[in-house]
Amino acid sequence: MLTLLAPLLAWSASPDDRAADALIERLAKPAPATISFTEVRFSKLLRAPLIVSGDLGYSGPESLDRRVTRPYREHTSIRGESVKVEREGEKPRSFALKHAPELRGLLSGFAAMLSGDATALRKTFAVEMTGNDDAWTLKLTPTDTKARRRLEHIEVNGRQSEPRCFTMTTADGASSVLLLGAASADPVADDVTLVGLQRRCGAGPGS
Amino acid sequence: MKLTRPAVFLLLLWLALLAGLTWFVERQLQVSTDLRLFLPSPTTPEQQLLLEEIGEGPASRVMVISLKGAAPEQLADASRTLVENLQASPNFRLITNGDISIESVPDELLAYRYLLSTTLDERPLDEKYLHAQLQERARDLASPAGAFLEPWLPRDPTLELLKVLQRWQPMQEPNRLYDVWFDREGERALLLAQTRAAAFDPDQQRLAVEQLNAEAERLKRDDGITLTFSGAGKFSVMMEERTRTEATALGTAATVGMIVLLLVAYRSIGTVVLSSLPLASAGLAGLAAVSALFGTVHGITLAFGFTLIGVAQDYPMHLLSHRHAGRSPVETARQLWPTLATGVASTCIAYVTFLLSGVIGLAQLACFTVAGLAVAGLTTRFVMPVLMDPSGRDFGESEWLGKLWRRMASLPRPRWAGVAAIILSVGAMLLAPQPMWESDLSKLTPVPRELLIQDQELRNELGTPDVRYLLVVSAADTEYALQKLEELDEPLQQLVAEGAISGYDHAARYVPTAQKQRQRQARLPEPATLRADVDAAVKDTPFRPDVFEPFMADVEKARHLRLLTVDQLRDSPLGVSVEMLLTQHAEGKDKSAGRTTALVTFSGVQDVDALEQFATDAGPGVTLLDTKEASETLVTNQRIKILWSLALAAVLLAGVVTCSLRRASRVYRVLAPMALTTLLIVGILQAAGVSMTLFHLIALILAAGLGLDYALFFEHAADDPMEQRRTLHALLVCSVSTLMVFALLACSTLPVLRALGLTVSIGVVSNFVLALLLTRPAAPAHGT
Repeated sequence: MLTLLAPLLAWSASPDDRAADALIERLAKPAPATISFTEVRFSKLLRAPLIVSGDLGYSGPESLDRRVTRPYREHTSIRGESVKVEREGEKPRSFALKHAPELRGLLSGFAAMLSGDATALRKTFAVEMTGNDDAWTLKLTPTDTKARRRLEHIEVNGRQSEPRCFTMTTADGASSVLLLGAASADPVADDVTLVGLQRRCGAGPGS
Repeated sequence: MKLTRPAVFLLLLWLALLAGLTWFVERQLQVSTDLRLFLPSPTTPEQQLLLEEIGEGPASRVMVISLKGAAPEQLADASRTLVENLQASPNFRLITNGDISIESVPDELLAYRYLLSTTLDERPLDEKYLHAQLQERARDLASPAGAFLEPWLPRDPTLELLKVLQRWQPMQEPNRLYDVWFDREGERALLLAQTRAAAFDPDQQRLAVEQLNAEAERLKRDDGITLTFSGAGKFSVMMEERTRTEATALGTAATVGMIVLLLVAYRSIGTVVLSSLPLASAGLAGLAAVSALFGTVHGITLAFGFTLIGVAQDYPMHLLSHRHAGRSPVETARQLWPTLATGVASTCIAYVTFLLSGVIGLAQLACFTVAGLAVAGLTTRFVMPVLMDPSGRDFGESEWLGKLWRRMASLPRPRWAGVAAIILSVGAMLLAPQPMWESDLSKLTPVPRELLIQDQELRNELGTPDVRYLLVVSAADTEYALQKLEELDEPLQQLVAEGAISGYDHAARYVPTAQKQRQRQARLPEPATLRADVDAAVKDTPFRPDVFEPFMADVEKARHLRLLTVDQLRDSPLGVSVEMLLTQHAEGKDKSAGRTTALVTFSGVQDVDALEQFATDAGPGVTLLDTKEASETLVTNQRIKILWSLALAAVLLAGVVTCSLRRASRVYRVLAPMALTTLLIVGILQAAGVSMTLFHLIALILAAGLGLDYALFFEHAADDPMEQRRTLHALLVCSVSTLMVFALLACSTLPVLRALGLTVSIGVVSNFVLALLLTRPAAPAHGT
């Protein structure tokens, strides 16, 4: 029994970590980097998911811009510890990053990946990698229990050195899927389901 | 020294009386450090308010705390821990670090959001409005703010609570990092604490200060964070400690010096002990008189009182130095008495005028000194001689004193020097660049400047409002005051828009009037109507129709709430702001009884004229208070009163001396050194760039009293060479001992003690020299 399990255990422990590190290294992109996105937000309060699209601009570990262009215009800027949301025809709203652990998770995940710094990423998340080069999934779980009370985990799906989706699941079961780059090119149906999106993220190219 | 039986009995009786007085004082005496005792009673409402603010006003209870020496995130955590630790403390009413989040609002206040928010003033909570709001919420949900708004939306789809919280933020918000207050550079986390005790309750304040010190130690030890805090309470505790430490050190040095001096002068331990009894009696009698008449004694009264009655130490010295080989001490005392009594009586009468100054602290001081000096004089005259060793040394036989006297007698009498001194002093007074008088009230508080600057800097960082200009709204009760504030809000916004000020704050921003709350309550829809409107509004939004039940429940609750009052808010994080801005006067205390005073504070005042115009337009009951001007007027009033007292004192003193000496030339010889010295002291201080304060005036009076004594005794010395030697001995011992004590005070680090020490030291030297030059009998020509 044990002999059977041994290779399995060996494979799942350190080589996996090494593979994850290698993958993260490959994901490095020089800042500033801009990537288009479509975000689909699911919530218990909603009948149908909310879908917005635009682009994300990353210009350093403390600075992220999220610009929504459809179906309305909105600009969120994160500078250090403060977040400002500006929307057409409304007063800008500011709040502390502390109030939005999801956003902080996204930001630190982004920052670590774009800089290819696996060690930094492991400081805030437990990193778990599954799949292969053509369809990989990085599961990031916050190590801090306090943060985990709000953000359960982030799943990043991708192919080769290209991340395609960020799926954030909050503790109360709400989730939000960020389709990135090429993955966001195709329109998303109004009544898309989480399962449908996950398939799209994980199930290879095109469709 | 051998005492007769009646003398022993007298000594025991005296000691017993002293013990009795000690017991009485111990039981009665309450020391206060309330500076207001040394200010004249206010005559205008502005001054009244000013004094309240200085003494017990909520602002005086506020301590500003800063944390530094670690990464901002750690500092923010330390700030939160500090709030948790101090919140439960009995010493602090409230402590806040700016962290006003949804969670920090007490549950019972949540439902009030519909009565506190202005939304309902502008529109009803109907289908149209709800629909527009839900559309916006859908967008919010899709934004990064969505995650933290989501749990709150079913209860508050219009985000009413956020609107209320935003309204409650100071217009000039301090910098925030990690949700707590920081300075602009992000290096120091800032907090505000409010003590339960008023600033001038040193015992209670000490507990608060000690607790903060303990927290500072813990933070330093565990996290390497430096906690500093400042505020009126800390200052009063600190100054009390410093004054006490210095006074003890200086007092000990002075006592040792005095004992050595007395031993050298009289060469008998018994004599030295005996000579201290009149002063001890004076101090105890003074304390007993003040505590019997006033109840509490101000710390300053004590400090100054003991300094002023230090003069009493001279009385036994005169008696001891005038000991006569051929006369009993009782006879000597009888012979000295007219001179001594003139000195005591004129000084006492001069101090009595303080009673008329209308300043309680000065009245206490007068009471203390008059009682003390009278007792010292009387014990020196009637008790001391009986206890004195009759066989003591006769200084009339001293060779070197005789030589010294002859040398002094041959000194010139340079009248031109007196004229020159007058001209130079007046010149210095006229030409000195600094104002003659110090009108800045803060200079009366002997808090070191750098601490005040640090305090001000912390307060600036916290965006605490401009300290100089305040708008005072006086109204019959809180509701009227809030109403007036609501009326003023629009013109105030106008002022901000015009750039006259950058922000303002008043109580009605936190608590609406009952009238307004009632109006809003009446506008809240009934349950059935609300349900229908919500159902209709949800229809073409992405929201599910059944999620807003908690919202409907809250609205229904708000419809039946008892209106929010200032008292309810008092213990919430907003308590500090509201209480500083609104004072309800207790019933039956004075003429302002039962009334409410509300303040409008300003920040970034640019255009004072516009503010004045605004205050004028605001109608009756509204005044613009320029605290700087009000406090300066107060100090000026005080000074005018004291100067009148002094003028009266001078006249009375001259009168007593005239009555006693009778001849104009004698009167001139006695009064001239004293008058000239006063002028010289003022001249020297002015030339040295010192603006005079209350403390200098007190010192001047002391110096004048000393000068009078010196001159009287020089004058008394007459023509008998033996008597001249005795007088010279007495005056040398007196002036050297006084100079020693005040020169020590002049070394103090406390500005007040230094002012006192310096002034009197100059006075002693000048008085002695002038008495020598002007009062000394027209010697050898027709003498011996």
